[in-house]
Amino acid sequence: MSRLRFVLAALAAFAFGSASAAPASNQNVKLPDYQTVQLDNGATLLLTPRKDVPMVAATVLVRGGSLADPAGKEGTADLLAEMLSKGAGERDALAFAQAVDGAGGSLNFGSSAEAISASAQFLSKDTGLMLSLLADALLRPKMDPAEFDKLRKHAIDGIAAAKDSDPRRLIGQYSGGWLFRGHPYGRPASGDETSLATIALTDLQAFRGQQMGGDRLIVSIAGDFDPAAVTAQVKQAFGGWAKAQGALPQATAKAKETGRRVLLVDKPGATQTYFSLVNVGSQRDDAARAAQDLVQTAFGGRFTSMLNTELRVKSGLTYGASSQIQRPRLPGAAAITSFTKTDSTKAAIDLAIATLDRLHKDGLDAATLQSAKNYIAGQFAPGMETAPQLAGAIAWLTLYGDGRDYIDGYLGQVAAATPEQVAAARAVFPASQDLVIVAIGDAAKIRGVMKGYGPLTEMKLTDPRFSP
Amino acid sequence: MRLLPLACALALGLSSAASAAAPASPPAAKVPGSEAIASKTLANGLKIVVWPDHDIPNANYYTFYKVGSRNEHAGITGLAHFFEHMMFNGTTRRKPGEFDRTMEAAGGSNNASTSNDLTIYTDWFPSSALETIFDLEGDRMANLAFVPEVVESERGVVYSERRSSVDNDSMGTLMEQMQATAYVAHPYQIPTIGWPSDIEHWKSDDLKQFFKTYYAPNNAVLVVAGDVEPAQVFAMADKYLAALPRQPEPTPITTVEPEQLGERRLVVERADAQSPIVAYAFHSGIGAGSKDYPTLELLTTILAEGESSRLNQRLVEKEQAAVEAGAFAEAGFDPGLLWVYAMLPPGGDMAKAETLLDDELAKIARDGVTAAELDKARNLKLSEFWRGMATINGKARALGTAEVFEGDYRKAFDEPAAFETVTAAQVQALAAKILRTQNRTTGLLKPVAAPAANKAPAANNKEGAR
Repeated sequence: MSRLRFVLAALAAFAFGSASAAPASNQNVKLPDYQTVQLDNGATLLLTPRKDVPMVAATVLVRGGSLADPAGKEGTADLLAEMLSKGAGERDALAFAQAVDGAGGSLNFGSSAEAISASAQFLSKDTGLMLSLLADALLRPKMDPAEFDKLRKHAIDGIAAAKDSDPRRLIGQYSGGWLFRGHPYGRPASGDETSLATIALTDLQAFRGQQMGGDRLIVSIAGDFDPAAVTAQVKQAFGGWAKAQGALPQATAKAKETGRRVLLVDKPGATQTYFSLVNVGSQRDDAARAAQDLVQTAFGGRFTSMLNTELRVKSGLTYGASSQIQRPRLPGAAAITSFTKTDSTKAAIDLAIATLDRLHKDGLDAATLQSAKNYIAGQFAPGMETAPQLAGAIAWLTLYGDGRDYIDGYLGQVAAATPEQVAAARAVFPASQDLVIVAIGDAAKIRGVMKGYGPLTEMKLTDPRFSP
Repeated sequence: MRLLPLACALALGLSSAASAAAPASPPAAKVPGSEAIASKTLANGLKIVVWPDHDIPNANYYTFYKVGSRNEHAGITGLAHFFEHMMFNGTTRRKPGEFDRTMEAAGGSNNASTSNDLTIYTDWFPSSALETIFDLEGDRMANLAFVPEVVESERGVVYSERRSSVDNDSMGTLMEQMQATAYVAHPYQIPTIGWPSDIEHWKSDDLKQFFKTYYAPNNAVLVVAGDVEPAQVFAMADKYLAALPRQPEPTPITTVEPEQLGERRLVVERADAQSPIVAYAFHSGIGAGSKDYPTLELLTTILAEGESSRLNQRLVEKEQAAVEAGAFAEAGFDPGLLWVYAMLPPGGDMAKAETLLDDELAKIARDGVTAAELDKARNLKLSEFWRGMATINGKARALGTAEVFEGDYRKAFDEPAAFETVTAAQVQALAAKILRTQNRTTGLLKPVAAPAANKAPAANNKEGAR
């Protein structure tokens, strides 16, 4: 591997200074070898030993997740995930937290659409303890009523605190809800202030029985550990976990939106408007993934992207403008996001739309495409550097049923993407007449501007939901 | 999920430097591969440190310039941070934007950050791009240009950054006001992002003077970590950096903050907020190179790190008076602040939160810490150390931080041993010394009813002038 790399490095140096420099040398970045062990109850164990630092990382997934939340009780899976470590096995909540912290560890439970997840990292010397804590949390949570009451209140209060913080962190929550209104993807995985208030401890217990069990378990461990000992421990700890009783949640794809509709979220006194232009885009197994990523990189995925160049570098309207493609199992959102001072709201949104139009009209020239290929190749390896990154990547590959080629073959696909494929992949971003638009800002000052983009719906940032 | 504000985490910045070796300290941590680290100082004073690590085919190039908001004064506040932006905006050889276009076309990306003490430029790239990076960095250290239109455009960018991180964020607003109150003499009172009127009024001459003074090879440390060899890096440095002239040493910052003589209190009223905040800023008296720095780190860890920490257990779990409670210490070239805060639920009782914070802080000063707590804190710091050593990025950052604050990159490896030597009595004594009412600035963020419609927030009043 390294010999080839240095040959390529020499070529790149030779071509230095040219926009068509040789592709970066990272196209042989691959997952390390990992071992897969199937337990009799259907659980999957994935082992990736590596000895760079004396630490161990684990990603644990239980299929199901927030898509299985009952209607009106959004946040159930997420609250359940957090309850798992609020006392488990022989330890109450404080003793459990002390055990994690005492080992210099971190252990975070949460839920995404398709899985309840835990990510953990500990010092190697405490690997046995880590596994026993994870097993206690998943199989023997105390589900204490007092702890539940605190957790639910804390979750509700946390949303209010987030609304007093930088709105950049909330715009995705609102635009996801507005784009996918009425669709399972539009329901907030963390719940909102209304839905969280309706959830009872019995809802969590019911969800746990229906959606959690050994047949849905994926345990991915990477780092400095003894594979034989860990395999024996995992079999002993998780091998007896019974199956989940309910069916996995199902959803069907949402079609792309046509036309425009606008949501204005009022934050009185805001000095800046935060906006998002979205539509349905791509999915996990999209055959055009690599070509779309090249479009994404050039359009809004790096500092010199078209969007950041127009809105930040050339005009100084904003600190940042970018685009994003989310790829869950079914098609997710493709979005443009930025922010600007209140009185330049129209200028910034108009410029974002004009830049989107230019992408569709002009496409990417050869130099930009080559630059994007080099950029993706050059930035790929650091995402596969650490034990937590590897444990996570391998766990999610397994959850989605992807082979290792999803990662190992990726840079090859990027390098091989043809100009025609890339031109076609622009369709991952919507035409500008088909936009779902969300803005958080001072409604009294920008209402007139926002009305100009399409039929307007309004809500307040302090409303207890993330959608009207 | 945790929808909690992260202003404090963001403010943490650079605080991971280790202390000078404690008496009879255990040996430094053995990090695999660290024996291959090499360093060299060019004749122009630029110190270069290289850590070869071939795990991934990438490398990092970190330039630590010893300049931050500490080096500013009224009229040019925020200039170091603005300069951070301008370093990407053109040289006499390259047009504005070409730096980024060239780097990204070679597979690299970059960023930069400014704190009270330092401005740090970071490049992340495939090792095949090493020479491109040296050429780009050498060029901007030697030949920076100041294109007037770009200066004007960049003011808008920085102002937008300020609006998001300070003006539209409760914690950001409160911390800015508290920092300006906690210091009466030392330039640590200056917000790194700058006061709005200064953002509007920097002149090109200010920028040029700043560049000449601070962006000199003798005021910088370069760290390269990753898929490179020291000889290769030193050869590049000779080719691209050795000819840059040394500049006169910058004027030292000699102001010492006078001892605080009693509590300072301030209230920030926000009409668009729902959740109150109570925060304290104590003068720690400790800089990053102080022998007491590891003790300070363990004290804040015991107070605030992990779900089982004292502040979380008391204010969030037991009393449910706060959504989040935390503490962290800032330490740079000069003594910094130890921050303690509680973020309350809507309608939360600020007086109660203050009483609970006071009680917890008094308790640690009065009764000290347990052996188990100290052990736990050491393990948390040890795993933080190893997490940093797991990436080429963490390695570069650790070496550079130790080099700039302690004058020797090797001190990065003393950290675990330094934590081992701290005693419970030292933690207690430090708590008693720092956590006094007379030594603190208390800040309250208070949600209030909305003002009349025609009254715009202060930060917005000036925007039309630009």
